[in-house]
Amino acid sequence: MPDALTVKNAALDIEALSVAYPSRGGWLQALDNVSLAIPPGGVLGLVGESGSGKSTVVLALLGLLGPAARISAQRLNFDGHDLLREAPMLRGRRIGVVFQDTAAALNPALTIGSQLTEPMRLHLGIEPRLAWERGTDLLAELGVPRPAHVMRSYAHQLSGGMKQRVGIATALAGEPDLLLLDEPTTALDVTIEAQILSLLDDLRVRRSLSMLLVSHNLGIVDRLCDSVSVLYAGRMAESGTTRAVLHRPRHPYTKGLLAALPRPDRPHAGRLAPIPGGLPDLTKSDPGCNFRSRCAFSAAGCEQPQALRGVVHQVSCHRVDDVADESWPVEAEPPANSIAPRARLPLLQAESLSIRFGGGGWISRMLGKSAGVLAVDHVSLSIRTGEVVGLVGESGCGKSTLGRLMLRLLPARTGTLNFGGGAVEPEASRDFRRRAQIVFQNSDTSLNPRQTVGTILGRAVRWFDMATGAAVAAEVDRLLDLVRLPRSYATRYPHQLSGGEKQRVGIARALASRPEFLVCDEAVSALDVSVQAAVLNLLRDLRDELGVAYLFISHDIGVIAHIADRVAVMYQGTIVEEGPVDDVLHPPYHPYTELLLSSVPLIGRERRDSPAPSTGAVAASQGCKFAARCARKLGPVCDTLAPPVQQAGPDHAIRCHIPLSELAAVPHWLGPPA
Amino acid sequence: MPIAVFLLQRLAGLVGVLLGMSLLIFGIIHILPGNVAYAILGEFATPAAVAQLEVKLGLKDPLPLQYWHWLDAMLHGNFGQSIVMNRPAAALIGEALGRSALLAGFAFALVAMGGIALGLYAATHRGQASDKVLTLAQFVLIAVPEFFWAIVGVLFFASWLNLLPATGYAPMSEGIGSWAAHLVLPVMVLSFGLVAHVSRLTRSSMIEVLDSRYVLAARARGFAEQRVLWRHALPNALLPAITVLAIDAGLLIGGIVVVETVFAYPGLGRLLVFAIERHDLPLLQVGMMVVTAIYAVANFIAEVLYAVLNPRIRVGGAAA
Repeated sequence: MPDALTVKNAALDIEALSVAYPSRGGWLQALDNVSLAIPPGGVLGLVGESGSGKSTVVLALLGLLGPAARISAQRLNFDGHDLLREAPMLRGRRIGVVFQDTAAALNPALTIGSQLTEPMRLHLGIEPRLAWERGTDLLAELGVPRPAHVMRSYAHQLSGGMKQRVGIATALAGEPDLLLLDEPTTALDVTIEAQILSLLDDLRVRRSLSMLLVSHNLGIVDRLCDSVSVLYAGRMAESGTTRAVLHRPRHPYTKGLLAALPRPDRPHAGRLAPIPGGLPDLTKSDPGCNFRSRCAFSAAGCEQPQALRGVVHQVSCHRVDDVADESWPVEAEPPANSIAPRARLPLLQAESLSIRFGGGGWISRMLGKSAGVLAVDHVSLSIRTGEVVGLVGESGCGKSTLGRLMLRLLPARTGTLNFGGGAVEPEASRDFRRRAQIVFQNSDTSLNPRQTVGTILGRAVRWFDMATGAAVAAEVDRLLDLVRLPRSYATRYPHQLSGGEKQRVGIARALASRPEFLVCDEAVSALDVSVQAAVLNLLRDLRDELGVAYLFISHDIGVIAHIADRVAVMYQGTIVEEGPVDDVLHPPYHPYTELLLSSVPLIGRERRDSPAPSTGAVAASQGCKFAARCARKLGPVCDTLAPPVQQAGPDHAIRCHIPLSELAAVPHWLGPPA
Repeated sequence: MPIAVFLLQRLAGLVGVLLGMSLLIFGIIHILPGNVAYAILGEFATPAAVAQLEVKLGLKDPLPLQYWHWLDAMLHGNFGQSIVMNRPAAALIGEALGRSALLAGFAFALVAMGGIALGLYAATHRGQASDKVLTLAQFVLIAVPEFFWAIVGVLFFASWLNLLPATGYAPMSEGIGSWAAHLVLPVMVLSFGLVAHVSRLTRSSMIEVLDSRYVLAARARGFAEQRVLWRHALPNALLPAITVLAIDAGLLIGGIVVVETVFAYPGLGRLLVFAIERHDLPLLQVGMMVVTAIYAVANFIAEVLYAVLNPRIRVGGAAA
């Protein structure tokens, strides 16, 4: 096995890189003694949660930290060049970069072609017409359909996946040897992510590129990288080959990260193991291990400076041998007052709900130009008391809209809604509002920054007449207890809370009216893994304690597999498959479910190609909406006839023309390889 | 949305605004209490004179009919007759408008160029001493009303230094030097506040663009800083500035009334003030219509320009 960390002729060689920014509290040490190396043609994953400093590494390599930053390194070499001095000459030429949100990284005022050919013209001296041809070829090479047309387009005309391909193309335009990838797939749907990952894998071989992949997603790191470095609060925690670090983690932080990760291949795997506490204050210098206050294995000696131990597999923990066989502790499951799922009564039944969006302005309407789009198309879904129904699908499939329709927060065009035995009118009653609540993804924007936590919760308590006068404060205390926040937090403002704490306040507010039903709309998606685990555990406990039913909307199949009892898979406004979570995650699958599951980057999954989706995007108006993308399309019947509902088991329904026996004869994508 | 539909929509909006304004202007003058003929002739007019004027102006007709006559006449190019001066209103307004356009044109050019240039300078020198000085000057200029600067200007340049004429207007035929000298003070006073306004806005929009990801991406592609600024940042930063310039064109027209009065400059603003003082209602009606139309057209041009410069509006829809 090549020794990635002591490679002699490394493409990239970083030794003891430190970066500090001036901040209100003094110098903020964003990176502290970080060393990395990538051999020519190698791919290194740089892993860490927000605040770990991984994006700072990318900016430091490009020389784009800004004049205020203080940077020092024993070595910051790229192919024999000192990046501390020569970065401005090398970036864009020999070092290319792909940023996380390409939607924002492409200039809205310039055509794709002009942005793509600019580096060729300026750096390679290629004349404009030839550069345009080369750009078109490059887009074609990266799998962009109709490249000549895309060259003349603007960023806003492209889909997310296309924008990311264009982003990669602009990074490759200067013909670099090293590609820096800063969260390259984070904003993308899992199916698109899978395509981008295979594209990168391909490029690496074809163009013998070296890559630095910065990501918080351990699954994609496992899929793409030879070696991994784990960064915690600006310092190296662990580094080694991908196999060693992700499959036999040795540093407590890496162990914790992996234990906190909800995995789609282990549904209902008991409680997750959150990492308590938060990032240390980086303006205070701390010679000892900076993870020790959160570490489950901290002991005497942790306050001493930690050196990286080991040669190939390096770990900065003095207890590495003591804890070698121990895994991150999981708190005991609280005694569940479980009602057997079958005994649960129906709570909420949606029957044939639809909504239409768009249709343009009054002139377009007059001209009959567009009739809008059916964002939710006659969907029926029922939820029992205390049940968690997961709703998965790609962005834009209508899952959030369905969640809002089920709360009567949007006016439905068709359909009925029943709750607790009675019909819910389109103008929902106050009683329904009290009994059915919502938790949003982004508590940053859904909590009023000018109100204290106590005021926010108190208002909800008063609004629903849950308490009056002095009893309100007691009720606020009860809510804070419920979401495991100290009662003293009632006097804090939202900006004084961490991301996970804000989300707990959002949940507490939703619980203020003692609801029986909660819509959780991507409620944990914005959180770091270690914090997400704690919030997921909390939501599960609340379900058991209070008997609340959830409609749990998420794009993350791991989260859904962890928390849901039943799953509904949504595609372009319709539910294509629905059933108990174990049944949906096993064959027989709907072809769309299969595409989703095969695209999930799983740690330890063999690299298998997922069923290639066809590129046509326009859905047939009559038949199956997925037909245009389906790899297993039967023929014209899929375009012309609405697919029948097939019962694959008790409660397990698949909407597809393909016979069940054929749907069952596919690999179990989340299981061990056949 | 195709560009043709967009233009059609905006054009319909423009016509709507003009119609609405004509109704409003007509209404203000005719529906307000008081007899229009008395208002024109003064309270000591004889009943006979009042009756005669009422017939002459068609004031006995029902209001909607009067409105229609007025609108119809304007659409046929007949803008009525000034009562006080006994000349066609169109000719009076035409002359005054020409002189005001001179003032407004120079001022607008100064606002557009000076405002944008100063804004860009401040944005690229963010936090430095020059940026702070500019910021302070901008606040002072925005906060202090223009008639104050007019008085300061007259005292300083005309009375004390004796460099420039204090008031009035000289036609080009009297020599280009005199013509220009009469314009300097009014143009300066008219544009100061607006230069400050436009440069504040340009500064903040340029800063936002400079902090954007696509500017970072352009730097990461190894382009020279000048290229990043001019080619990648500027086109995006100018979009909001254009909208503000259109609004400022309206403010400019408001400012013209004040500045022309202070400098005794015979332009549209002063003509309007004259029409108000002398109860020359036909002249006033048309004058207000013209001012409104200028403002509406300026806004229309800004919206079209914005659309032309912004690819998101110019080329809608999906490509792939």
